[in-house]
Formats: sequence, structure tokens, C-alpha cells
Amino acid sequence: MQAFVKQNALNIVIWALLLTMPFLMNAVGGYTQLGTQVVVLGLAAMALNFLLGHTGVLSFGHAAYFGLGAYGVGLTIRYFEQSTLLGLLAGVVLGAVAAAVIGPLIVRRRGVYFAMVTIAFGQVFYFIAVRWNKVTGGDDGLTNWARHDINLGFTKITLVNEPIHFYYFALFFFAVAVAIMAAILRSPFGRVLLAIRENERRTRFLGINVNFHIWASWLISCTFMALAGALFALQNNFVDPHSLYWTQSGIFVIMCVLGGMRSFWGPLVGAAIYVVLQDYLSSVVSDYWQFFVGLVFVAVVLFFPRGFMGALRRRTAE
Amino acid sequence: MTKDGNSTRFDRRTLLKAGAAIGAAQLASPFVQVARAADVVKIGMDNPMTGTYAALGKNELMGAQLAIDSINAKGGILGRKVELLNEDSTSGDAGVAVQKARKLIDRDQVNFIIGNVNSALAQAIANVANEKSIFHVVPGGHTDSVTGKNCHWNTFRVCNTTQTEANAVASTLVKTAGKKWYYLTPDYSFGHTLQAGLEAAGAKLGVTKVGGALTPLGTTDFSSYLIKAQAANPDVIIFLHAGQDAVNALKQAVQFGLNKRFHLAGAQQELEVLEGLPPEARVGTWVFEWYWKQPKVAGVDTFISEIRKRNSGHVPTARHYFGHTAIWTCALAAEQAKSLDAVKMARAMQGFQLPPELAMMPDGAFYRAGQNQMIGNLYVGHAQSNGKDDPEDLFVVDQVVNGKEVSPTLEETMCKQDWPKA
Repeated sequence: MQAFVKQNALNIVIWALLLTMPFLMNAVGGYTQLGTQVVVLGLAAMALNFLLGHTGVLSFGHAAYFGLGAYGVGLTIRYFEQSTLLGLLAGVVLGAVAAAVIGPLIVRRRGVYFAMVTIAFGQVFYFIAVRWNKVTGGDDGLTNWARHDINLGFTKITLVNEPIHFYYFALFFFAVAVAIMAAILRSPFGRVLLAIRENERRTRFLGINVNFHIWASWLISCTFMALAGALFALQNNFVDPHSLYWTQSGIFVIMCVLGGMRSFWGPLVGAAIYVVLQDYLSSVVSDYWQFFVGLVFVAVVLFFPRGFMGALRRRTAE
Repeated sequence: MTKDGNSTRFDRRTLLKAGAAIGAAQLASPFVQVARAADVVKIGMDNPMTGTYAALGKNELMGAQLAIDSINAKGGILGRKVELLNEDSTSGDAGVAVQKARKLIDRDQVNFIIGNVNSALAQAIANVANEKSIFHVVPGGHTDSVTGKNCHWNTFRVCNTTQTEANAVASTLVKTAGKKWYYLTPDYSFGHTLQAGLEAAGAKLGVTKVGGALTPLGTTDFSSYLIKAQAANPDVIIFLHAGQDAVNALKQAVQFGLNKRFHLAGAQQELEVLEGLPPEARVGTWVFEWYWKQPKVAGVDTFISEIRKRNSGHVPTARHYFGHTAIWTCALAAEQAKSLDAVKMARAMQGFQLPPELAMMPDGAFYRAGQNQMIGNLYVGHAQSNGKDDPEDLFVVDQVVNGKEVSPTLEETMCKQDWPKA
């Protein structure tokens, strides 16, 4: 038992914090919505980190799949079916299909070229969302839709006007997604991804189809990204093209770097830091908050290149 | 995690340290929590302080603060002191705007919410406010849908719809310049709806569209668009840009000498833009939504001198006016309803006529019932290179249009309000 606690101390602390987040947030003067934002953007950052930190491939266009998930749920509820779960599913499928199709076109590129191509494809979706005014609402965003309560037959989950319920709804999907990602990383398949990160050429010499593995990692990463995007849209009852824009991709990368790319939980911590910092600073110094966020980012890169979790681990190791 | 490089060894000491750190973090809470007396009325402002619209957002904030100060000097709202909470919505990120709206409503428990300069963000905030039943005022986001297709019972708007602006300027343009129009339109919602509005208004007057080009937001080099416009040989080249885009487009058009061969014009124009232009590029026919030089109108002189005090001597622009009027709308709604209940306040404002010293327009201003859109005067005129008796008098009002005559009818706006039952 003690050994279990010792080995899983970090997991236990993180889950305890996540489970009590709405109460913690309200106790320290935050609000439930901010907690939901941390979980949803944390999921997005962890999804990106599956590719960035664990496979070693930098994508600068992940917001596209985040946005596709968001538009998927919004368009479904607006035009087809007033169902939160169906919308969520549609969002995830939309993001996954787009990633599956685009993946083979880009996995042959590496490094900065890979990043550039992902931006290019991301911007394609951005411009579709901006230009297709009649369907997506263009630059104004997609409005006139909202999440609905879920009727499971035996019980009903109320999500409308219940921020705390929605927090746990999001946390449930977060938990499922994170468990799947952790399981994949523990499997032989996950080991191959780590091997690609460490030394791609050697992995290739071992007879492993590197491009296929990167494609699969990309697909998994984008699918969870779409899930995060769909949850984000449900949280706000709103989608706009900005969620597809490349600067949003940059924010996800910043979250990974802040928290630590080599750590499983790092991106979640990074997302929490970013979201809370942004929320707090933009109220205190509303004109210059981006400057201070940038300053924190520069300081982290200079002094803790492995991010917050990396710094923590080094202290522990010492 | 497992025993590979990803594993994290955590001993008791670290855990204790982490616990202490978390405890300390709770004490030095990053959120400023000031116990506020329950008898304060709070107004939340969710407007851009950074990005493209920062200048406009800051001017609206200045006008709002002036209004707060004068309301407090007069005894507050329903005898309670008024407090303004300001949040940066960013200029284009609706996710942030929505997050801030919820922060103001859920955490700060504001009684009113104000925002936004950007039409898309205004709509997003309106939806949150509607979900939470909070009295919402849009100071300066123009797209039709806010008080049209997507209107809400609790959302009021001070600035005009794009269709109203287009209607106001169309007949003047036909009279002074001609019937062949070429459009240069910024490629986003505000530009699209403004062009659609002008096309609709022009069609009634027999105007033909000889061409048009969409310019991406943030374009710096307009030469290729200007060459195309020139080739179409129109009577009027219509610029629908705002902010820095408007400055760049007009500057280059004048460098090309287009102002000597065609009539340059547009719909909405703002003092902020004219001040950003070199004198020779301050040309063309435009609509202002409010102009400071109205010597015979009640309240204007006081407003100018108060803003000059706060704005290092500069005169108020339409943005100051929007912020000021938005805050006063909240105060008047509460006084009128004798309550802070959103439904009662919104009912009280249906068809409400603003007092003349706050309307600051020759024909006054009122909120149209069933749409919650403020209708006042519009100022059609032309820009001038240098002010005669004040360096900031850069616009000559040729005609004061009554908004009642140029606003689309209630049916045309397609607004159907969703009042709560009960």
C-alpha cells in the first residue's frame, strides 16, 4: 500500500486537485468556469504533447483540430440534432477524419517543415470557417445553439446553467482521454513512439515503419484535440474561427513548454499556469497583460528549459 | 507513470514541501478578493484593451468612467454606489471574451455587463448574458444581427446597425457623386454587412455596382486593389475599412491621386481614423455616429470639457459617447424600473426616450421597443484636412439625418425577442 502511494504520489495529488477543483477555485477567488477551462485546455495541451513531447514531432497547426471538434459539435446541435453527446461524437469524428486524411500528406516532413505544413493545413480550415458565412457564421462565429441536458434513460444529467455539473462532465471525458493516452504510452506501441523521439534513425534501422507510427501518433493526438475542442465549444455555447487560428496552436505549444514537455502531466500544469495567469493578469493590468505572460514564458525557457514539472523533478532527483 | 525516464520519484519530504507550497499559494491567492459591501451596484465592462481595437476600447472605457463618476456624484443607482469592473476581452478572441463575461457574472456578480467593440464578441457576450439573464449593453459593435436576427430581450445597443449607417449616407452619395459604385471591403463580418447594407440602400436609388474587392483584415499594401478600382472607372470608390486599415487605404488612394479623379467615400468613419491620416488624405463623404461640434445641443459642452480633462486635452469621439451612454443606460434602466431585476429593467427601457442632456443629439435618442436598438441622429458630411478653429475639427457635418427615417423597420430587422415566461 505504502509503496503504491509512494509510486503514485503525483497521480494522487493531481487527481485530488482535479476532483476538488470547483471548490478550490471558488475558495481562492476563482470561479467554476475557470476550473473547466483548465481541464479542457489541459486536455488539449496533453493531446498536443502526445505528439510533441512523447513522439518528438512539433505541430503548429493543432488548433485546426481543436476548432474542428468545436465546429463539429456546434454545427450538429445547430442544424441536425439537439443532443450534446451526439454533437460531441460528431466533433471528435470530424477532427479525427480530417487528421487521418491530412496525416499521410505531412508525415514525410520533419522538424520545421513539418511544423510549417501543419500551419498551412490549419489555416485552410480557418479560412473555410471565415468564408463559409452561411453555415459557420463567418467571423461572427456560430451562435444560436447551446448544450442540452443529457437523458440517459435511468437518470438525467443537467448541464444547462449548472457550471459544476458541466465541470464534472468535462472531467469525466478528460479522465477517459488521459487514461487512454497513458495506456498507449505504456504499451509497446508507446515505447516505439518514445524511441522515435530519442533516435529516429536508429528506430528506422530496427525495421520500424516510422512514418506510420508518426501518423498514428498524429491521429491519436488530433482526435483528443478534437475532443477538447468539442468540450470547449460546449462550455462556451459558442464557436468562432479564432479557435482554428494558428496563434491558438501557439498557445497550446506554450502550455506544453511552461509545464514541461517530457512529463506526462506537464502540459496540464502548463495549461493551469497559463489560464490562471492570463485570467488574473488581464484583470489587474488589462492593457499590458500579454507582456507579463510573455515575460513568464521567457523566464521559464531561460531558467527551467524543461518546464515547471521538469524543474520539480530535477529538484526531487537532487 | 512507470519506471522509465518518465517516472517521478516523490518522497515524503517533497510531498510536505509541495503541501506547504500549495498552502502558501492559497494565502497569497493570485485573485484579488476584496470584500465588497453588498450595497454596491456593479457594472462589468468586457471590452478590448489590447489588439486592433484597443484604442477604441480605451476611449469607450474613458467615457464609461466619466459616466460612473457623474452617477456617483448624483447619489448612485437607487441610492447605491456604482463600481466599474474592467476586463480585457482582447480584440478578436471570442473564447476570452466569453470567459471574461462569465467571470464578471459568476464571480463578481455584476448587475450589468457592457461590451463589445468587435461585433462577433458583442454577439458572444450577448448570448452569455441572455443565458444568465443579465442586463447587457453593446456600446460599439455594429453588425445587424445583435439587434436583428440574434437579438435578445436583455441586450441593448447604443451604436447604429450597419444597415442604418448605409441608408444614411446612400442618398447623399447619389446626389453629390453619382450612381456607379466600386466597393473596397474588409473581409470580415462588419465589412460584409456594411457592403450588403449599402448595396441594398443603393439598389433603391438606382445605383449600379461596377465592381468590388475584399481586402484581408490588416492589409498594408492596397495598391493592387486601388489599380483594379481605377480600372473599373466608377463614380465613387467606397472604402468600408476601420482602424489602421482605413488609414492605410486612404493614404495610398491619395498618393495615387485617386481623389482627383473619383469621389472617395464610405459609410462609417471615426475621428480616431481621421486623426491618424496625413492632412491631404482627409477627404471624402462619410457618416459619423456622433460628432463633438454641436454648439446648440444640450449637454455637449459639459461632456467635451469633462473628457478634455481626462483625455489630455483631446475632444471626445463617438467611442467616448458610446461608453458614456452605455453606462447611463444601465443607471436609467434601474431608476426607471425602481429595481435591479433584469426583466423589469428591460421592460422599462422599451421605447425609452433618453433625457436630452444625455442623448446629446438634436433630435434626441430612444431605444426602439421590440428591438432594444438606440435610434438617434447620424451625421453625414465630409472630412476636411485642417480644423478651422480647433485642430480636431476634421469633419464638416453637411446634414444631420434623423435615425428614425433611415432605420430599417422592425420587420426588416428580423428581431424576435425571447422574453422569459413568468
